[in-house]
Amino acid sequence: MSVAESKQPARTGFWSDTGKSGIGSWILSTDHKRIGLLYLYSVLGFFLVGVVLGVLLRIELMAPGRTIMDAQTYNAVFTVHGVVMIFLFIIPGIPASFGNLVMPIQIGARDVAFPKLNLFSWWLYTIGALIVLTSLFSGGGAPDTGWTFYVPFSARTGTNVSLAVFGVFVLGFSSILTGINFVTTIHRLRAEGMTWGRLPLFVWSLYATAWVQILATPIIAITLVLVIAERVLGTGLFDPGRGGDPIMFQHLFWIYSHPAVYIMILPAMGVVSEIIPVFSRKPIFGYKMIAVSSIAIAGAGSLVWGHHMYTSGMSDRAVMVFSFLTFIVAIPSAIKVFNWVSTLYKGSISLEAPMLFALSFILLFSIGGLSGLVLGAAATDVHVHDTHFVVGHFHYVMFGGTGFAFFGAAHYWLPKFYGRRYREKPALVGWALMFVGFNITYFTMQVLGIRGMPRRYYDYLPEFADLNLVATVGSWIMVTGLIIVVVNLWRGLFWGESIGENPWDGATLEWSIATPPPTENFEEDPVVTHGPYDFNKGVGIP
Amino acid sequence: MEKARRNRRGRAILSVAGVLLVLWSAVAAAHLEPEPAGSVGSAAQQAEDATQVGVNERLGAKLPLDLSFRDETGRPVRLRELIVGPTIILPVYYGCTNICNYLQGGLARTLPSLRPTPGTDYRVLSISIDETETPELAAKYQKMYLSALKVPFPPGAWHFLTGDAASIRKLTDAAGYRFKRRGHDFMHPVASFVVAGDGMIVRYLYGTSFLAKDLTLALIEAREGRVGTTIRKVVDYCFSFDPASKSYEFNLLRVSATVVLLCCGGFFTFLVLTGKRGKRNSVGEK
Repeated sequence: MSVAESKQPARTGFWSDTGKSGIGSWILSTDHKRIGLLYLYSVLGFFLVGVVLGVLLRIELMAPGRTIMDAQTYNAVFTVHGVVMIFLFIIPGIPASFGNLVMPIQIGARDVAFPKLNLFSWWLYTIGALIVLTSLFSGGGAPDTGWTFYVPFSARTGTNVSLAVFGVFVLGFSSILTGINFVTTIHRLRAEGMTWGRLPLFVWSLYATAWVQILATPIIAITLVLVIAERVLGTGLFDPGRGGDPIMFQHLFWIYSHPAVYIMILPAMGVVSEIIPVFSRKPIFGYKMIAVSSIAIAGAGSLVWGHHMYTSGMSDRAVMVFSFLTFIVAIPSAIKVFNWVSTLYKGSISLEAPMLFALSFILLFSIGGLSGLVLGAAATDVHVHDTHFVVGHFHYVMFGGTGFAFFGAAHYWLPKFYGRRYREKPALVGWALMFVGFNITYFTMQVLGIRGMPRRYYDYLPEFADLNLVATVGSWIMVTGLIIVVVNLWRGLFWGESIGENPWDGATLEWSIATPPPTENFEEDPVVTHGPYDFNKGVGIP
Repeated sequence: MEKARRNRRGRAILSVAGVLLVLWSAVAAAHLEPEPAGSVGSAAQQAEDATQVGVNERLGAKLPLDLSFRDETGRPVRLRELIVGPTIILPVYYGCTNICNYLQGGLARTLPSLRPTPGTDYRVLSISIDETETPELAAKYQKMYLSALKVPFPPGAWHFLTGDAASIRKLTDAAGYRFKRRGHDFMHPVASFVVAGDGMIVRYLYGTSFLAKDLTLALIEAREGRVGTTIRKVVDYCFSFDPASKSYEFNLLRVSATVVLLCCGGFFTFLVLTGKRGKRNSVGEK
């Protein structure tokens, strides 16, 4: 027996109280916490794959001309980086992993409404992911269309687009089923006294997200089936030569994929809304407005897809309407940011790892959001469309936003489920390197984009060389920080210091139960008597 | 006092917002460019061409079925004898060295993939717009296109007609089909049309290539009255006629969005109406 193993005593709670062990007790379990951890390991694994691909892309762009790969390989690598990061990491990242782990406990339930469906969703996710991975190494090779699968190229390229698209189709069903499960759980299984006005904001954000998943995902499923039909049967739906319309693909694709951006960011906002009050020791400022703004973002965000298509040949009037609606979405987003900042005001702020990730979320999301307005305004969008500015923008929102919130959530909640915690100092060093490296990489990309460097090219003009080198070095700093953060978390959760029920003095229900939580969460059904952020009144139960 | 000041401030903010909105609309309106128009000269040229050659769609109008033509055997026939059900009419001239061959060839390529049965469900009429052409020439072209079909096709299902100038003009005028003789050749639009058994024009089809779905749907429309109402409605809903591309397009957005919204609305209503249930999953249920 190794030293490490001898240090690791048997875990309590849901880890051991069913008496079952072995792989079957995990991959066939209907316990929402085990399914949450299955998702967590899966998405984290794919995240690391995506990171490696991203670093390879940056190394290729370190100098003009061919550096480590040829143009076709570059096309395949950025496509796979996008597909893996978006469909396998960010979309299921927070809702499926932390949503499953925490949400039922936060509303006082013993499990989700449909535990078996929950397990089925994870299986669909796994099958979809395997299909996507298979597509990279079979047929005509990894897809080279970009994660957007735009026709007519995706209908003609000889690479393995059909299989990859089918994988994404299966992943979509996993997403829909999780959405249905969460909506039903939040409607049906709230504990006594857990009124809509007392729902933790993370639950509110998951509720809004789940509706977007249910509403928008079927559209992408249909669209992807049509791409397969176009490739296999030659239906001509998107082929203007046969009466079809390629712009229709872009509409159908973005009707899902823009709301999907909110599937990615809303749960992250929920995480931040949980962390900020706890580490400021103050009730959240503007609870109702934050809750309502989640719904408003989900609603308005479903009507703005056209802003991806300003240069695709829409009518001027459509461009203006989509531009206007895009600006509307900025309002609920800004409401959240102002409320978080107001919560911090005169709070007793404790700068521990989860809080640092949450604070950097606010800053990075704001930069990403404001650069989004540059793209949402039609006049400026025409200039920076398809440049590195866009790449910088969505990495600020998706990685700086959702990615940082994901790691904030990991530092905040995972100790509760493992019963052990990470070391604080390496977490701070890792966070600092990630934050600095992140800004060096992506801010430089935005500058490059404004200067005219296009995206998706493996080569560029010599005048862009210096800034590209800076961005690549930034990516190394960021990845160093990331490695420290992940290793520290991993070591801490398995071999770190034990923690009690409520290490952060949180007031939501998950902090009222044993650490790690038992399989059924609550020994008896809780009765909630006050809101989730009334720190003076303790944790939700009298 | 305090209240009045607040009111004034509120009004000031509102008026600033109003001015900004007006400015924004003005700037936006200034950027609304008109549709790009061609040069004046080319527009005038187009207008002149349009008066002499082109198609004025007369959907719903009836062809004069008592017009007399001669079929490929030289036998005089009235249109009434040939148009007894859905019929595809191709205005062509057999001596055409260019587009008429593509038009008829395009149809010959598509006909084998149509589900309706030729002869019983529909017929095809090629009608020469050149009054000098003879039934012998028509017979030659009938033989050529029927053999190009590569599948057995009843000879009575695709007639090749010739006729005198007056009959041709009456027919093409009724269909809004305008053409012009230029020497031995003709300037004419590349269009064909589908008529019902009573001669009513149901649909115009443009270009030399035919989509099986376009033709099938046009034939279904031509059978209107004989097709069940329900099927007709479903087809009408799923397939709308796009006037810009003159082609049927499956209206995906409408169908899928309606289905998704109805399901989601139903799901939400169900959850709200049935409310929170006391029954919660417990140890015993698992």
